[in-house]
This record gives sequence, C-alpha cells and structure tokens, in this order.
Amino acid sequence: MKKEIHSLLKMRAVAMAFEPEQKRDTSTITEIIEFALAAESYGIESAFVREVCTLKDFTPLPGVPSFILGIVNVHGQILPVLNLNIFFNLPDRGLGELNKVIILCDDQMEFGILADEVNGTKAIYREEILPVPLTITGIGEKYLKGVTKDHMIILSAESLLSDKNIVVNEEVNQ
Amino acid sequence: MKLTIGTKIYAGYFLAIVIIIFFGVTAYLNTGKLLSDSKWVTHSNEVKNNITSVLSAMQDAETGQRGYIITGNESYLAPYFQGRDSIYPKLKELKGLIIDNENQTHRADLVKPLIEKKLAKMEEIIQIRRSKGFASAEAGIVAGMGKQTMDSIRAILAEMTNDENRLLIERRSIMEVTYQKTNSAVLWGIPISVIILALIGFSITRNVAKPLRQVTRTAESIANGDLSGNIASSGRNDEIGALMQSFNKMIIMLREQNQEILKGVNIIASTSSQILTSTAQIATGSAETAAAISQTTTTVEEVRQASQLSSQKAKNLSDSANMVARVSLDGQNAVDETVAGINNISKQMDEIAQTVILLSEQSQSIGGIIASVTNLADQSNLLAVNAAIEAAKAGEQGKGFAVVAQEIRNLAEQSKQATMQVRKILNDVQKATNAAVLATEQGNRAVEAGVKKSAQAGEAIRTLTESSREAVQIATQIVASSQQQLIGMDQIGMAMQNINQAGMETSISMTQAEEALTNLHELGQKLKELVEQFKM
Repeated sequence: MKKEIHSLLKMRAVAMAFEPEQKRDTSTITEIIEFALAAESYGIESAFVREVCTLKDFTPLPGVPSFILGIVNVHGQILPVLNLNIFFNLPDRGLGELNKVIILCDDQMEFGILADEVNGTKAIYREEILPVPLTITGIGEKYLKGVTKDHMIILSAESLLSDKNIVVNEEVNQ
Repeated sequence: MKLTIGTKIYAGYFLAIVIIIFFGVTAYLNTGKLLSDSKWVTHSNEVKNNITSVLSAMQDAETGQRGYIITGNESYLAPYFQGRDSIYPKLKELKGLIIDNENQTHRADLVKPLIEKKLAKMEEIIQIRRSKGFASAEAGIVAGMGKQTMDSIRAILAEMTNDENRLLIERRSIMEVTYQKTNSAVLWGIPISVIILALIGFSITRNVAKPLRQVTRTAESIANGDLSGNIASSGRNDEIGALMQSFNKMIIMLREQNQEILKGVNIIASTSSQILTSTAQIATGSAETAAAISQTTTTVEEVRQASQLSSQKAKNLSDSANMVARVSLDGQNAVDETVAGINNISKQMDEIAQTVILLSEQSQSIGGIIASVTNLADQSNLLAVNAAIEAAKAGEQGKGFAVVAQEIRNLAEQSKQATMQVRKILNDVQKATNAAVLATEQGNRAVEAGVKKSAQAGEAIRTLTESSREAVQIATQIVASSQQQLIGMDQIGMAMQNINQAGMETSISMTQAEEALTNLHELGQKLKELVEQFKM
C-alpha cells in the first residue's frame, strides 16, 4: 500500500513539474526532416529537401574527394551523393545502414546526402533552436543552425548548398 | 749371446781342428825343406869327393910315370895306366854332378884340355924314357915339361873345392835356420794352442753347466714338492734359454693344475658333504612320504564317498537345468514382443520428426514474408515523408495532404511494429521447433537404445537357454565321470600301496648311497692332503 501511494505521488509530482506549453505564433514554425546518421539524430529544413529515396545503386567517381560517395540516378537525373560523416570529419561510430538519400536543392545546387534512417517530418518553432554548444566540435559552425531540446542537431541547408568546398573543380594531371 | 750351444761346441772343435791342421802342415813343409837342404849338403860333399878323386887320379898317373922314369921298370906304369884310364870317367861324373852350377861347369870345361895336355906330356916323357933313356927324360922333366899344366890343374881344382866349400857352408846355415823355425813353431805353438783350447773349453762348459745346475736345483725342489721357485730369466735365446722358459712354463702349469686340483678337491669335499646332508634329508623325506601315503589312502576313501554324493547332486542339477530352459524360452518370446513394440514407437518418432522439420521450413518462409512486409513498410514511410515534403511545398493548400501523409507514415510505422511482433513470435516458434527437433532426436536415440537393450536382453535369454541346455549335458557328463572317478579311486588305492613299497626300497638305496658318499668324502680328504703337500 505504501509503495503504491508513493509511486502515485511521484507521478503527480513529475506531471506537475512540466512547464505548460504556451500558445505561440505559428509563423515561426519551421518544417524539418528528421534523420539519423551514425547514431546521431539530425534535422534539416524541408524547404531545401526535394525528396527522400532509398539508395539502390551508385557509381563511384574517380578523382574526387573522399566525402563524395559517387553519383546516383534519381528519376533519370544524375546527382552526386555526399557522406556527411566524412565531410564533417566525424569519427566512425558503429555500423549504419546508409541506404537512404536525402536530396537537397536550391536555385543553384542540387545533391544528395546519405542517411541511416529517415524518421519523418517535424514542425518546430525557431525559438526552440538553441545555439550550438561548445562541446560539439569537428563540424564547422557554419554548417550548423543549432540544437533542439531533445538533442537534435539542425543542419544549415543554405550553407551546405552554397559551400564552395563541395564544388569539385579538379583536373587530372597527365 | 745369440749363438746356440751347438754352434759354440762346433766352433770350439773347428778351432782345434784348424790348429792341428796348421801344425801338421807347418811340420810337413819344414821337414820337406830340411830333407832337401840336407840333400844339397850331401851333394856338395860328393862334388868335393869327386874333385879330390880327379886330383888323386892325376897324381896316381904322375906318380906312376915318375916311378917308371926313375926305374925304367914297366911295372911302375900300372898306377899310371890306372890313373890315366880312370880320370875321364871321373871327370865325366863330376861334370854330371855340377851340371846345375854354371861356374863349376865352366871350370870343369877349362880343366879338361889341361888334363889332356898333361896326359899327352906324360905319355911323351914315357916314350922318351923308353926310347932314349932316363937322361933325356929327366932333361924333359927338368925343362918343365908338364909342371905348369899340373899346377894350373891343381889351382882350378882348388878353386872348385873352395867354391863347393862355400856352398856347403851356405846350405848348412839354411838348414840350421829351417831347423830353428820348426823347433820354435813346435815349442811356442803347442802351449799357445793348449791355452786357447783350454779357455774355449772352459767357457763353453761354464756357459752350459751353470744354468743346467740352476735348472737341476729347481727340478730337485719341485721333486721335493716346492713349486714356489722360478728360474730367473737370463734372456738367452739358445737351447738353455728355451729349456729355462719351458721349465718356467712347466712350473706355472703345475702350479695352476695344482690349484685347480685343490679347488676341485674342495668342491668334491663340500659337494659330498652337501650330498650327505641331502641324503639324510631324503631319508627323512621318505619317512614323511610313508606317513603321507597312509593319509592319502584315507583321503582317497573320503573322496570316493564324496564323488558318490556329487553324482546324486548332478542328477538334481540336470532336472533344475531343464526347468530353467523352459522358463527362458518364455522370456525370449516376451522380449521379442517388446522389440516389436519399440520398433513401432521408433516409426512414430520418425513421423513426428518429419512433421517438425516441415514446420521449421514453413516458419522460414513466414520469415521471408515478414522481411518483404518490413520492406514495404519502409517504402511507405519514405513515401509518407516525400508526401509531407510535397505538401509543405504546396503551402496552405497542401496542409490537408500533410495530415494524410502523416497518417500514412503512422500506418507504415504501425505495420513495422506489427511485423516486428510477428518476427518476435516467429522467433519463439522457431526456437520451439528447434527444441522439438532436438527432443525428437533424443527420443529417437532413446528408442534406439531401447531396441539395443531389448536385443541384448533377447541375446542374454538365448544364451541362458543355451547355457541351461549345456548344463543339462554337463550334469549328465558329471554323473558319468563320477562313476569313472570311483573306479579311478580304487586304482589310486592300489598305486598307493606300490608307492609305499617303492619308498621302502628307496630308503634301503639311500643307506647304501650314504656309505658310498662317506667313502667319497674320505677319498676327497686324502686327495686334498696330497695336493697340499706342494708349496705354492
């Protein structure tokens, strides 16, 4: 009996500890695509996502940096695919499936990034995006927008799409 | 001392013979020389005599002539004629003697014409006397007719005589020298050779006799029973050395033999005493044997009774073995039925196993279906995401679509959850199937073991049947053999009596053997005393 009373009291205490959600302005809502990569959970704005598909076949390209996995054929369009793990110089954490491709696009650029799992879409408020803590290293700060409360890293699609490092302009010397 | 004794003795005799031959040859040669020297002396004397006779013949003739001249008597002419006639033969004889000497021959040749001349003168004076008388003859003589001739004859003959005298003296001295030589050879040679031969003889005798005496002494000491002495080795290689070595070998051999004999005698002594002891033991043993034989006889009687009893028992055994055979036949039938039942169980177990395997295969195909459903759910999820993106792009108009997309996504999520549950259940089913397979296998094994065991039981019962049959046979045989045993026991009783008699005889022989052994023992003791006389 004592135990039951105790657990009931504790549940109530936890429920009362939650901050009640306030009504907010819906204009600051941002739609993001949530995905997993190397045991981390990432988010990217859906405005820059053209589509999501499975990686069935790809062709490796010679003479490109190692972060470019190769090229894939999506609905007859040839697109390059990046491995963000290598691009951000992250340590290789465990085995991931890496069989999903998220295709990003804007006016100038269009390419795919690899993901282990695409979890779905989520609408979040811009205010909920916290600044990047100092503990996150390795990923260049310019590619990050921030971190949400439930430890989701929000990537900056604009800076990825406009980054000059991704553009490969190399000639093979004879 | 490499020379053998024989060689030494030969050498001594050879030396003596050489000395004798030397002296003989020397004496012979010297005697011959003396003889020839004395011949030459005689020869010289003859020559001198001849010369004198020639001269005397000449003088005889002259004397006769003178006598005639003085007297005129013809009878005085006799010596003249005699001398005249004898002078030539004598001169010839002289020439023959001195033919070896050139000087003398030459002188003789000189004197011959002078003699002829003188004789002719004398003849002439005789003729003058005869015819003219004494006076004229005397005148002739005074005139010196023939005197010079006669003087020269005399002178020559005197020379010849002198020469011969000189020769004579020479020859005499030569003869004297030869005589001296012979004399001295005899005088010195005999004593020297006597001394040499005596020395050689002495040394050979010494060389031989001394070691022989040593050997003799050792032989005498051996004869006296002393075998301890050895002859000191002199390192000689001759007969004496060989004799000494052989003697030493003989002593060593005698010593060894003596020791061997002594050992043998000791062995005989100990052996005979052992045999004596053994004989005594045998005597005791035969007495014991006699006692044992009487006991054995009693025992044989007891065994006889026992075998009668065993014959009875064997008959009983035969009956009970027959019963066992019957019972075991029943047992065998029961076991055969059991085996058939177990075989049935085994077949049913096989069927169960087949069913379980089928079940396992089917659950695997269910697994394949689950995988494809999972894949479908995944793709639906992606589609939902894409739909959401499209809806977002459509803006306000797409809001309703976004809700639909969200629902699709939820459905996909639910179907994924459902497949996961199915998978989990399927895993449990598969585990259970595996356990069933294992249990079936174990059941099969148990059935096999049961089959084996019941086969063994059948075999055991069969063996039991066989054994009981054999037992029946054996029991019959036991009955027969116990009859034979009875007969055998009687024979043993008779044999026991024979053995008893033989034991008595053995006892008598043992007494005789004991006497013989005592004699042998004494003989050994005597032999031992004999051998121990020798000093080692």
